[in-house]
Amino acid sequence: MTAPLLELHGVSRRYRMPREALLRPPAVLTAVNNVSLTLAPGQTLGIVGESGSGKSTLARLVMAFERPDEGTVLFEGTDLNGLSAGALRMARRRFQMVFQDPYGSLDPRRRVGWSIAEPLRATGATDSPARVKQVLDQVGLRAADAEKYPHEFSGGQRQRIAIARAVVTRPALLVADEAVSALDVSVQAQILNLLMDLQEEMGLAMVFISHDLAVVACICDRMLVMKHGDCIEAGETSRLIASPRHEYTRSLLVASGL
Amino acid sequence: MARLVVRWPARLPVNLMIGALLVALVVGVAALSLIWTPHDHAAMTIRNRFQPADGVYWLGTDQLGRDIVSQLMVAARNSMTVALVAVLIGGSIGVALGLLASALGGWVEDLIMRVADIGFAFPALLFAIMLSAVFGPSLTIAVAAIAFINIPVFARVARASANQVWTRDFVAAARAAGHGRFAISRDHILPNIAAPVIVQGTIEFAVAILAEAALSYLGLGAQPPSPSWGRMLSEAQTLMFMAPHLAIYPGLCIVIAVLGFSLLGDGLRDITDPRLKRRRA
Amino acid sequence: MQLDRVSVAFGAAVALREACLQIEPGTRLGIVGESGCGKSMLGLCLMGMIPDAGKVSGSIRLNGKELAGAPEHVWRRHRARDVAMIFQEPMAALNPLKRIGDTVMEPLEVHEGLSRSAARARALALFDEVGIPDPDSRLRQYPHEISGGQRQRVLIALALACNPSLLVADEPTTALDANVALRIIDLLVRLSETRNMALVFISHDLAAVARATQQIAVMYGGDIVERGPTAQVLGAPRHPYTIGLLGARPGLDNRGRGPDGRRKRLVTIPGTVPPLFELPAGCRFSGRCTREIASCALQRPQPLALGAGQVAACHLLGQAHAGAGAS
Ligand SMILES: Nc1ncnc2c1ncn2[C@@H]1O[C@H](COP(=O)(O)OP(=O)(O)OP(=O)(O)O)[C@@H](O)[C@H]1O
Ligand SMILES: Nc1ncnc2c1ncn2[C@@H]1O[C@H](COP(=O)(O)OP(=O)(O)OP(=O)(O)O)[C@@H](O)[C@H]1O
Ligand code: SF4
Ligand SMILES: [Mg+2]
Ligand SMILES: [Mg+2]
Repeated sequence: MTAPLLELHGVSRRYRMPREALLRPPAVLTAVNNVSLTLAPGQTLGIVGESGSGKSTLARLVMAFERPDEGTVLFEGTDLNGLSAGALRMARRRFQMVFQDPYGSLDPRRRVGWSIAEPLRATGATDSPARVKQVLDQVGLRAADAEKYPHEFSGGQRQRIAIARAVVTRPALLVADEAVSALDVSVQAQILNLLMDLQEEMGLAMVFISHDLAVVACICDRMLVMKHGDCIEAGETSRLIASPRHEYTRSLLVASGL
Repeated sequence: MARLVVRWPARLPVNLMIGALLVALVVGVAALSLIWTPHDHAAMTIRNRFQPADGVYWLGTDQLGRDIVSQLMVAARNSMTVALVAVLIGGSIGVALGLLASALGGWVEDLIMRVADIGFAFPALLFAIMLSAVFGPSLTIAVAAIAFINIPVFARVARASANQVWTRDFVAAARAAGHGRFAISRDHILPNIAAPVIVQGTIEFAVAILAEAALSYLGLGAQPPSPSWGRMLSEAQTLMFMAPHLAIYPGLCIVIAVLGFSLLGDGLRDITDPRLKRRRA
Repeated sequence: MQLDRVSVAFGAAVALREACLQIEPGTRLGIVGESGCGKSMLGLCLMGMIPDAGKVSGSIRLNGKELAGAPEHVWRRHRARDVAMIFQEPMAALNPLKRIGDTVMEPLEVHEGLSRSAARARALALFDEVGIPDPDSRLRQYPHEISGGQRQRVLIALALACNPSLLVADEPTTALDANVALRIIDLLVRLSETRNMALVFISHDLAAVARATQQIAVMYGGDIVERGPTAQVLGAPRHPYTIGLLGARPGLDNRGRGPDGRRKRLVTIPGTVPPLFELPAGCRFSGRCTREIASCALQRPQPLALGAGQVAACHLLGQAHAGAGAS
């Protein structure tokens, strides 16, 4: 087997809640509790669970936006949280993210081309218009679109732009947090197909977060079910859907109409 | 899934239109004074003291025979310049501090904002008087004092708006891209807090005009012979019963300028703040 | 409630084009379609709440009474009593500074003239009916203190307060996660059955509509392109748009990998929804339709009854029909 691209070992993240009373110690909320996972290059891992189950927190931990309170996040064998700020910034070209809200994830005051080239500039690569054209083409937009502003695009097109920005540095891992949840079915299908195309062309691995099991079932090799911060079940997608071991997984399946 | 459409409102708010009109008037007059005034504003002709308004002296002359219209026009220019410089300096420092507080968070943010709170609580005029007592009265001191009192105001507005922008996904995307906090503040936060900062700047402009008038009224602003509404007012005070118009005109100018910028600021806020725009369901 | 050839236009942009609908007492109608296709606009028509900028034409009848063009005060008499609506944004619909109890009790005191204690009793009964646990303490809480699903139940309770005979629910489950959404749908169905209340369920989620409704109307670009019994339309769709929409849903046959080791792709509708003012004049779907014929872009297809209550507006069906009639 190939070496894993991403490994999480016993990762936990806690948030301190605002104090309810002056003298009582503040309550602590465990958003992610002792989660371990591995992801091989080119593979897709689905993360499902109800709202507030810690999916986005897990994504932020994988992206090293936040430090885990316990456990380690290894990407290509290195502990991301052990890197210096500068080294981490350079490492970011290898793992990128796509967000849920196609209206919020692009700076409304910047041209699309500028936004797409941002990861190139930030990691010290030359800001190459040719590369921007290339990714725009890859995600099914025209080169001329680089000169436009986000408000000139529909939701689906904006999500394409966000994906173009995420793959411009040729990353090995893409974290997609509810990347298709805000889209209409027909647009959602187009974006899912695009992600599959890119994955095959570039050998991308993906962490695909969604509350919709039907979507996860169609693009993920393996999946992980979360509830209240715990990983309650993980395994091959087909196995999990055919014979869920956990009652909660079963209820999610029913809710997604599977 | 409603599409967020920012539409230019079909009807501009009334306060915006009146404000813009008054501001255009004051700024226009101030600009005109650069190239033309009916008379030399400083020329004293004792023979012509207390001239009534007529075809030569449109609003008459003062106790030293100087033309009132010319003085008011040059005073408008002075007032605008002081307000502009003070708001720009205070605004830049305040916005920079606000951005810094928002970008760093933690104790830095707390420290900056607590200091800003103290600055807020400090009476502006008292501060200017204090400065003048130390350095002697001058226009520079007046500008510095007004700029200084603007810093906490802008710091607050900038930090509050910046904190909102920091929670947006495109900022997270910039972090994922590998940008540091300062690059993000420069590239994303600053352009996206421009609207509330400009609104605040317009309102602060009005405050600065008032402060300048008050300071020169106390003799702590522009020094003679440079005319100023505030000083014209204070000089007219002793002649209140003999020549009330000497007090009325500069007073009116102050009201027009302050009202104009306040209304313009309010109007701009109305059209840029989505919370107010959503009043109709 | 009956809509006949109702159109809504914002200048040159036609947000709703000659919509015909009939809602019988106690039945449940689903309205599906993608974002911006005019679903909310149709819902607002039923409430007489089209924005001032919109020009409404056609006929809207409630229990036989013509209400199109009726002044605001006439409509206001019908709102809450006869037709009530749950709006799309659950957060925006509740005043964050008011206790939930006050929000719910206020219309009861104002519209129904109930005393404070009677209103309170009614509010408790309503909360009980919509399945809010521990209603007594909920009344004292603020909107931000309860979960999204509970908030949606409060809104439903609020809409039911004056016993409407028609409830319009605009995307009541979109903001909720699947488990909670499911329970809200079942609640709406149950309420409609026990109260003999008609329900208009607006959603872009086909699965939700399939579960909630008996009749369905599929919208695209301001047109109702297909309607009929839900099971019939979703089971045997006839309009190319409905077929495309159903195909785009990830389903069983999209799972796993094909024989070449590549993942199976989803069926998609090519292109994107054009802006309202750029919609083609004929069939709104022309330009994206894979089975388009020459007359599509120019000529508007007329709704055609296909039997079993199914109606669709597409030139292909018209041709097939005419062909069958001629031979
Ligand atoms: N910065 C934070 N401070 C305090 N609590 C937080 C913070 N971020 C998340 N939480 C809490 O952690 C829990 C998990 O949140 P998270 O956003 O990861 O859930 P999620 O699974 O992504 O949910 P959703 O499907 O609604 O996006 C929630 O209870 C949330 O309120
Ligand atoms: N006041 C208005 N002026 C002009 N156009 C409007 C106005 N209100 C709505 N529209 C347009 O009418 C069309 C139909 O909008 P509607 O809200 O009914 O869509 P929808 O199907 O409910 O979509 P969603 O799923 O996003 O809620 C949209 O394209 C919208 O841009
Ligand atoms: S009328 Fe023509 S374009 Fe429209 S759906 Fe039918 S075949 Fe397609
Ligand atoms: Mg989330
Ligand atoms: Mg809508």
